[in-house]
Amino acid sequence: MAKKKTNKINILVDGKPITIVEDNFLLPDLLKNNIAIPTLCHHKDLTPNGSCRLCIVEIEERGRKRLVTSCNFPVRSEIKVETNSEVVKKYRQNLAEMYLGRWPNVEIIQKVARECGATDKDKYKSYLTEDSAHACILCGHCTRACNEFIQEDIIDFAGRGIKRHIAMPFENVDPHCVGCTSCAYVCPTGAIQVSDNRNHPVNAKLIQEHGMKVNAEMATLDPYQCRMREVGTANIVEVMNNYDLLPVKNFKYGTHEDTWRIDSNMMKKSYFTQGHPDQCWHGCSMACAKAVEDFELRTGPYKGHKVIVDGPEYETAAGSSNMGCFDMDFCVEYNFYCDTYGIDTISFATCMAFVMECFENGIIDKKDTDGLELNFGATTDTLEILHQMARGKGFGVEVGQGIKYLKNKWAEKHPEKADFVRDIGMEVKGLEFSEYVSKESLAQQAGYSLALKGPQHDEAWLIFMDMVNNQIPSFEDKAEALYYFPLFRTWFGLYGLCKIVWNDVVPADNAQKHPPQIAAKIPEHVENYWKFVEGMTGRKVDEKIMLDESAKVHNLQKIMGLMLGKNSFEDDIPPYRAVGPVTEEEYESRQERYDGQLKELGFDIDDKTTPEKMAILRKYRYEQYDKVQKAAYKRRGWNEKGIPKIERLKELGIDLPELVEIIEPLQ
Amino acid sequence: MAKIKREDLARIAAQENENQSKYKKMLMVCTGTGCVSTGGFDLKNKLSEILKEKGIDNDFIAVATGCNGFCAVGPIIVVQPEGTFYQKVNPKDLEEIVESHLLNGKTVERLLHKNPVDGAINEKMDNIPFFSKQQLIALRNKGLIDPENIDHYIARNGYEGLKKVLDENQPDSIIKEVVDSGIRGRGGGGFPAGVKWQSGKKAAIDKNEEIFVVCNADEGDPGAFMDRSIIETDPHTVIEGMLIAAFALGSKEGYIYIRAEYPLAMDRLQIALKQARAYGLLGDNILGTDFCFDIHIHRGAGAFVCGESTALMRSMQGHVGEPRAKYIRSVEQGFRDKPTVLNNVETYANIPEIIRKGAAWFASIGTGNVKDNPWGGSSGTKVFSLVGDITNTGLVEVPMGITLREIIEDIGGGVPGKKRFKAVQTGGPSGGCIPAEKLDMPVDFDSLTEAGSMMGSGGMIVMDEKTCMVDVARYFTNFLVDESCGKCTPCREGLFAMRSILDRICAGDGKKDDIEELERLSETVIKTSLCQLGGSAPNPVLSTIRYFRNEYEEHINDKKCRAGVCKPLIQYHINDNCTGCRVCAKNCPVDCISGEAKKLHVIHQDKCIKCGICEESCKFDAVTIE
Repeated sequence: MAKKKTNKINILVDGKPITIVEDNFLLPDLLKNNIAIPTLCHHKDLTPNGSCRLCIVEIEERGRKRLVTSCNFPVRSEIKVETNSEVVKKYRQNLAEMYLGRWPNVEIIQKVARECGATDKDKYKSYLTEDSAHACILCGHCTRACNEFIQEDIIDFAGRGIKRHIAMPFENVDPHCVGCTSCAYVCPTGAIQVSDNRNHPVNAKLIQEHGMKVNAEMATLDPYQCRMREVGTANIVEVMNNYDLLPVKNFKYGTHEDTWRIDSNMMKKSYFTQGHPDQCWHGCSMACAKAVEDFELRTGPYKGHKVIVDGPEYETAAGSSNMGCFDMDFCVEYNFYCDTYGIDTISFATCMAFVMECFENGIIDKKDTDGLELNFGATTDTLEILHQMARGKGFGVEVGQGIKYLKNKWAEKHPEKADFVRDIGMEVKGLEFSEYVSKESLAQQAGYSLALKGPQHDEAWLIFMDMVNNQIPSFEDKAEALYYFPLFRTWFGLYGLCKIVWNDVVPADNAQKHPPQIAAKIPEHVENYWKFVEGMTGRKVDEKIMLDESAKVHNLQKIMGLMLGKNSFEDDIPPYRAVGPVTEEEYESRQERYDGQLKELGFDIDDKTTPEKMAILRKYRYEQYDKVQKAAYKRRGWNEKGIPKIERLKELGIDLPELVEIIEPLQ
Repeated sequence: MAKIKREDLARIAAQENENQSKYKKMLMVCTGTGCVSTGGFDLKNKLSEILKEKGIDNDFIAVATGCNGFCAVGPIIVVQPEGTFYQKVNPKDLEEIVESHLLNGKTVERLLHKNPVDGAINEKMDNIPFFSKQQLIALRNKGLIDPENIDHYIARNGYEGLKKVLDENQPDSIIKEVVDSGIRGRGGGGFPAGVKWQSGKKAAIDKNEEIFVVCNADEGDPGAFMDRSIIETDPHTVIEGMLIAAFALGSKEGYIYIRAEYPLAMDRLQIALKQARAYGLLGDNILGTDFCFDIHIHRGAGAFVCGESTALMRSMQGHVGEPRAKYIRSVEQGFRDKPTVLNNVETYANIPEIIRKGAAWFASIGTGNVKDNPWGGSSGTKVFSLVGDITNTGLVEVPMGITLREIIEDIGGGVPGKKRFKAVQTGGPSGGCIPAEKLDMPVDFDSLTEAGSMMGSGGMIVMDEKTCMVDVARYFTNFLVDESCGKCTPCREGLFAMRSILDRICAGDGKKDDIEELERLSETVIKTSLCQLGGSAPNPVLSTIRYFRNEYEEHINDKKCRAGVCKPLIQYHINDNCTGCRVCAKNCPVDCISGEAKKLHVIHQDKCIKCGICEESCKFDAVTIE
């Protein structure tokens, strides 16, 4: 990942000392220090291109003086800067005269000309002179916005020298332009204007302002944060591996030495081909969707074909590690066939991981699998299962029934190992777990298990804020998060809005500006969504309105689940693999951590065996889970059994007789 | 062709030399672009046919070579080994050459070179002044090898430099050798190549990134064809130079950026790359070692600014060729933002010889002392294309430090006709014009810069007294207005403003302060432009003001153009020499000449369009310009 340098360098500007971060361009820091520098091509959110030349300053480096353009001059040594020397003034005036001669009536040029002492409008008057006050002054804001904000090149410069002008390819209107309005937004003269708002929003300007904030953050912050534009969600693979949270071998472990074979660097280096706008929604400035082209399949009905594969995402790679398959070719292939067959990659991977652990522990053997060797890492046989699942033949059909079915069946078959099978079968409410190790994150355990549709994090992806950013340390924080985030994310779903632009890039000062619990919400980005709704519909949204809107639906969903016989208290309890170490080897792999925790809690474990310590830990962790489960229910306005209280329905205005009828007996 | 190992080079060379020694004579037919345009290929094919018809093709062979440099007298055939030089050869002459020279040992005198100055006949190539004062390093194989046959190159010590560096396996000492040779970039900037390699290698190591080796063959100066000729004549020397650079730098991938309007050079380069790959001189495990490197060709579309390094790299990446600020240099962040070492064709062409013969040998040629500091002088030779009002138009390679006079008068044969030399423009369109009184100055990087011009890539345009220096400045400024990419304001707007002023001066509308305004604009453009195109663009204006200020003043104050070039400032008149022959009147396209036969004619100024046809058609010097 690109890293910003943090070294500070002391420089002298007009005799005054200023501290500047190494490699920073000079101009933004000069402006921050209230030093007036004229410029016609600089824009705070765009890469400087140094074309107007007005921001020239004189620098002295190792005794040698020279002129540089401050907008794109990176500071690398202790220089002296003169921003307004006679030489600088002389050239600025001449440059401003050139501008004035060509575009005499453009307001910002008139302003710059005044600042630079250029008064003679006629000096360079020629047949090129344009009288319009809204003339294009070739600053290039629009072309850079097109390229940097949404990674397109719909408009660019055409023509050389004095024939330089802004155009779309071949001087035609390019149908690929999605009308994102970035170019018009950054145009300083009004040369580019939006003539039609096809969706007829109530307040287009409000949407544009917040949209451009997002665009600017994507262009300027993403390369240093999550690299969503570069590698998409796959950037999380190595982060999770480093934090011991990447599911390895059916969630047993959180890290593996071979993770580099399936991480985002590997994908970028040897797999991703469509580096250019391949966003799932054309016009999205994050453009996190990636693709692999010309991938030759090794198995299945399309064996030998070269195909385009949409992905892999984080979860696809983490699914691979969960199956112990640290093989990128395999990852891309199972990604492709899952997509082609209409099978969910996550459910498949988690289910296979369970099957593999059962195979390795003798719960099933080759007789059950029709001769397939389903150890962890069995790439070829795993793909065969996938094909069988699609063909409707062989052991794959069994696997296709899912973990809930399998674990009941196998637990019955092996009563002596029934507990083990139930502990490692990673499903809740019949849905397979998504690909994060929740063992060490109470918040994520509850986030997964309380989710109404099953352990899927689009309700509450709390693991990052809990474990990586450490933003919700206390019990109350976790309960609050389990109230807020499911509602917040349900609200996204209600409006059909993508969640990724909410938190995969955050404002540069988010962590400094807010206390951790608030920072976790990324308030400025939540506001973007409110303003978007307001701009479209004219209806103002704030946190209360948002949460109330969402809570209605969330409670409705909950009751529907109850109606279907799910969503009971028991249905919200995860298998132990999601909460703590099931096996001895698992415990011992993190012994230091677990022993430490037990000691910290006041348990005397010095003489205890591993199974004894595991039993203590298990009891403790399920107690903790129980507490957080109940705390979350309470915060949601549900009773101890997780049933919405009738008064809560009243509060929300959804105490309809049909609903009350379902929950009344459960109160 | 099978892949070869290091020890096979000597065997191939010996084999090829033995092949060639079987022939009594080899007829080297020049097929550089200049000679091709006058029928070089036809000549070669016809000659081969004749030799075959006569059944003497076991004794004699016609070989198509690259450019000999003496383009003014093409097509050229040189008979080797004796070096007899035949010029302006017509296919009809071939029969005679074969019969007389080859079969009867009698030179065909009428096709020999005759010195236009003193009429002396020179039979041997080496005795012709055009050749005798040259010293060949980059062009060492010109006229002596078939550029499309790699064995010819190998037979003349080709790839020995590469073998040497592979044998020694000391990449850093290669760089040191190049630094010590003092070779400075032949493409225009004159930056010491070895220092560039050092910085590139350091950046690649510091950043732990791959490094690219790029060859700039985007020769854009009007009238310049050094790089084209080197590639047409000896493509393998460029490839070998790049290979040595790649080995020194640890690069695996190289590019040659060549303009698409060089089809012959492109063909020969492609053939050369193919042959080099077939021999295993490019690709994986070069000559059986661990060294892997290959070269791709990138065709440029011909924009002048793409010769600028950063614009060239942007163009290679598929973007519009526009330069960027060089505060972070390309050696650190160049092609695909990776460390990139870019050198010019001629620079690479010198490298194999520097490696083979040593830095001290190279440094001993030229001016100044580069022993401890590569900026301390100009070592080696430089190739120049000599064009304009000069007798021997062509391509020459001379040691640095030679005087302009030696190049123009001795090698170039001076200005043709009775006209006097006025100035020489060096360094391409953004070079400067050097006047007659400076003819004895040495030609090297620093002296040319001091004189207000520059070395550039080696263009040399000679101008005689019928050249108007204001018009010259206007011509080059106009070229640069067209070729400026338009990205930065001073280059785009400033040059245009300068051209507008020059236009009005040439149109007779010059204003009192125009010279000062030109100087002021020039300064702004030089000091504030983004790249060196703008940074040097005012040179033609400034150097002509410096040396020919009086011509500007005449144009502005007296409304006169002494060279008779600026039409609005001149009038055609008929003087007493007129015999009344009516020729001018008949040829005048606007019928503005009146007068009866055998009587003095008169030009009516109100109708005259100053096309000059009357002056050209008058046999009696009766039309004068005032």
